Amino acid sequence: MSLFESKKDSNEVFRIIVFLSPFIFLLFSAFLQILNLSYFKADDFKTQSESNRLYQSKIFPQRGFIYDSNNILLVENNIQQDLQINPNIIENPSFFLKQISDLLELNYSKIESDFFIRATGKNPNEPYFLIKNLSEKQIAKISVNLEKIKGAEIISSFSRNVLHKEIMAPVLGYVGNISKQEIFNNPELTKYSGLKVGKTGIEKDLDSALRGDIGFRIQERDSYGKLVRNISIEPPKKGKNLRLSIDLELQKKLFYEFKGRKGALVAIEPKTGLIRALISSPTYDPNLLNTINDYDEVRNLFSDQDSPLFNRALSGQYPPASTLKPFVGMAALEAKTISWEKEILDSGEYLVEGDERPYRGWKEGGHGKVDMNKAIIESSDVYFYSLAYDLTVSNLSPFLEKFGFGEQSGLTIREGTGILPSRKWKLGYKGESWFKGDTINMGIGQGYITATPLQIAVAYSALANKGELVQPRIIEKIGEENTETVIKKNISLIDDLNWKRIEKSLLGVVEASNGTANNIYDRNIRIAGKTGTAQVKSIIETEYELLRVDKSLRDHALFVGYGPVEEPKLVVVAIIENGESGSAVAAPLVRKAINLYSKK
Amino acid sequence: MKNNPLSFSVNLKINRNQNQILSFDYWIVLSVIALCFFGLAMIYSASNSLEMTIRQGIYLFVGLGGMFFLAFSNFRQMEVFYLHSFWPALFLLVIVLFFPSENSETKRWIDLGLFTFQPSELIRFILPISAASFLTRNLKTEMKDMWLVILLTFLCFYLVAIQPDLGTSLIVLLAGMLPVIISGFPWVYIYSGAFLGILSLPVIWLSLYEYQKQRVLTLFNPEADIYGAGWNIVQSKIAVGSGGLFGKGFLNGSQSQLNFIPESHSDFIFSVIAEEFGLAGVCMLLFVYGILIFRLLLVAFQSTNRFAKIVSGTLSIVLLAYISINISMVIGILPVVGMPLPFLSQGGTALIVNLLTIGIILSLRKEV
Repeated sequence: MSLFESKKDSNEVFRIIVFLSPFIFLLFSAFLQILNLSYFKADDFKTQSESNRLYQSKIFPQRGFIYDSNNILLVENNIQQDLQINPNIIENPSFFLKQISDLLELNYSKIESDFFIRATGKNPNEPYFLIKNLSEKQIAKISVNLEKIKGAEIISSFSRNVLHKEIMAPVLGYVGNISKQEIFNNPELTKYSGLKVGKTGIEKDLDSALRGDIGFRIQERDSYGKLVRNISIEPPKKGKNLRLSIDLELQKKLFYEFKGRKGALVAIEPKTGLIRALISSPTYDPNLLNTINDYDEVRNLFSDQDSPLFNRALSGQYPPASTLKPFVGMAALEAKTISWEKEILDSGEYLVEGDERPYRGWKEGGHGKVDMNKAIIESSDVYFYSLAYDLTVSNLSPFLEKFGFGEQSGLTIREGTGILPSRKWKLGYKGESWFKGDTINMGIGQGYITATPLQIAVAYSALANKGELVQPRIIEKIGEENTETVIKKNISLIDDLNWKRIEKSLLGVVEASNGTANNIYDRNIRIAGKTGTAQVKSIIETEYELLRVDKSLRDHALFVGYGPVEEPKLVVVAIIENGESGSAVAAPLVRKAINLYSKK
Repeated sequence: MKNNPLSFSVNLKINRNQNQILSFDYWIVLSVIALCFFGLAMIYSASNSLEMTIRQGIYLFVGLGGMFFLAFSNFRQMEVFYLHSFWPALFLLVIVLFFPSENSETKRWIDLGLFTFQPSELIRFILPISAASFLTRNLKTEMKDMWLVILLTFLCFYLVAIQPDLGTSLIVLLAGMLPVIISGFPWVYIYSGAFLGILSLPVIWLSLYEYQKQRVLTLFNPEADIYGAGWNIVQSKIAVGSGGLFGKGFLNGSQSQLNFIPESHSDFIFSVIAEEFGLAGVCMLLFVYGILIFRLLLVAFQSTNRFAKIVSGTLSIVLLAYISINISMVIGILPVVGMPLPFLSQGGTALIVNLLTIGIILSLRKEV
């Protein structure tokens, strides 16, 4: 009996052990897996768990402010509040969006389409901005209902605000998101992603100074993305403030003189190269682009026929026309192909042997016998046709190059170079050899030669300085550092008297009774200057009166002047596109600029 | 002796009362109490909810009361009660299908107003005891009794499986079959049964719910869908792994405190333990579980009573099954099935039932 019992007993125990063993085996393999996870792979999992809970987010710096030369604020930053969405937390997107649209009284379908467009583009779990630039009322409503709309968060950021909008736009430019192209050109920008960078103007040229440095915030967040606590904060560095050389008062008054006409004005202090006014008209409201809220407005801006975004003062390439004449004259004096006193008969036409058609002067019947002084004062074309013809392009172009024609002034890489034609240039760009007629046209600043208003201003600064060619500047101070005057070169003439002679003639343009800009004569503040009328289309083939009908084919009016002559404070170039008469339209602007500035 | 059962029983009772305290297995009682209180702490850490912890604490005291009551009871007197309690348990199992608690999508809970309970937990406890009692009512177990138990086991299995609750239904199957097997079911049938089971795997696979299939699939490649089906496993493994050797400290597990672990207070409580107490804590836990299982098995091995042997053997294996399957699924070597960690996971019915299990085995021990 006991034997039977014990046998049976062992049978039961045996069966228990048999059915226990798979679970012991399972537990043993589980233990090996735990050992694997928490011993051999622990570091790996620790990293994963850290990245799980820790969120590194950027703190964007405040962009530097920009002031005018009198420390008047030009650009500031507004605090903008945006609604950020964390898709991780949102359980039911359509319900969530419905709540948002009800709360903010916004169109549901628009929010929905925004949401799904944004949601499909990127990492679906990355937070993004759903609604930008919330109004105070909207902020209040969201703040009160934050518990109800889980997954929404209000994030503050800075937006750029240009205070004198249109007036300063061509100088300042605007900011925008970093484009792929910009990152391609400058891979450094990747670490600034999320930040707005300058797209043009000062904002672009001095972007690295204005930008500042991004700060970082490490936060602990739970699996819903909800903030638990801040772990560490590395504060952002504010961008450097800038002080421009622009005189807002002057800029503003001159801007209003343009009355929306197309054109440009550059006013430079010749001694220092500081630009006191820089106008390009028409212009635009940079804030439209700084914070893009309405895409239609932006589209209109970019497709505007008058190209308001184009900076005419820096990049507009115009024939310098008669404003080039003083330099042609000086070049001839330098090459000794003419003397100061030598007279040439201006009968209104210039004939070249072998050329059938005559080169006409602007004044029918001509100016009679003219020397260089009279030729500049009355702006004789025939005199300068003759001068250029004798001088040849090989002598003329290198001389003009000394004054900065055909190259950037060094103010910004955005400026145009203009064209300083030469035999080589024409062969290269036009595939034609140089004709004498090309030189003749160039003698009066027409034909292939073009220059930007800035280049003309720089060239005349050298005249005002009697040879010192300054580098134009628009920044007076970056952060705490002042910029310095740079004299690029000192142009010397074989006879220093020629500076004086030319200046006297330029003074005659304004002060002589036969001067072309006699209308702006003012004996209190004496201006030396030169008018110009740039032909938009060659009038050799067609009569000008026929062209005039089309306003866009009318001549550009130019005037460049500096004053007061005794101690030049300002060189001003004014161009009014299709303004026809340099003296009537452009010269008064220059007079106004110099008068305003001299009184300071 | 059989002629005078009453006097015998009285005598025995007096004797037993005298050495009851002595024969009481402190190893079992202490390890269970340690586990339960540790469980309370972990539930608090995982849920950060004092309310949930207190609730579980109340269940714990109810359970401990039940445990001691059963431990001090005479299992021979209770046997008849155990035998017949199967029917009400089965009844509840049917009832829950018709009147489930409305708080859940599954039909697992019966809502009794103040609290809810799971009849499936009850049946997996009652079924083996009742079966053991039924199978041992004669000296030699008859084959037709065994077949009856198997039939009823499959019925219970089916009723739980359609709730649906795959994890518990498998436990019910195990708990119902073990008494039959231990009591001497012929090996040849066991082999053919296992063989049939393997053959029917494709059928079982097809009858699984989509989410259940998904859980099995994610087991093999949890990284395939980190934010979807694989989330639980991936996050749980991160928790276990990042705990390292000594853990991040009580209440300091970032995975659990920041809600990265799903169900961290119930089925996934093991990952919270591993995260906060590390490999050392896991070893300690397994050690305590080891002592408990060993002492429980000892009852089965040492007892001369067949009923005691079958019951304590079955319940020990079921307990070990719970532990090993829960841990395995939490660390990603078994698919996720709803199966709590005994004494530790939040859940009133499971805790009370587990404590009652211990109480019964303690009472069986007195027969040693």
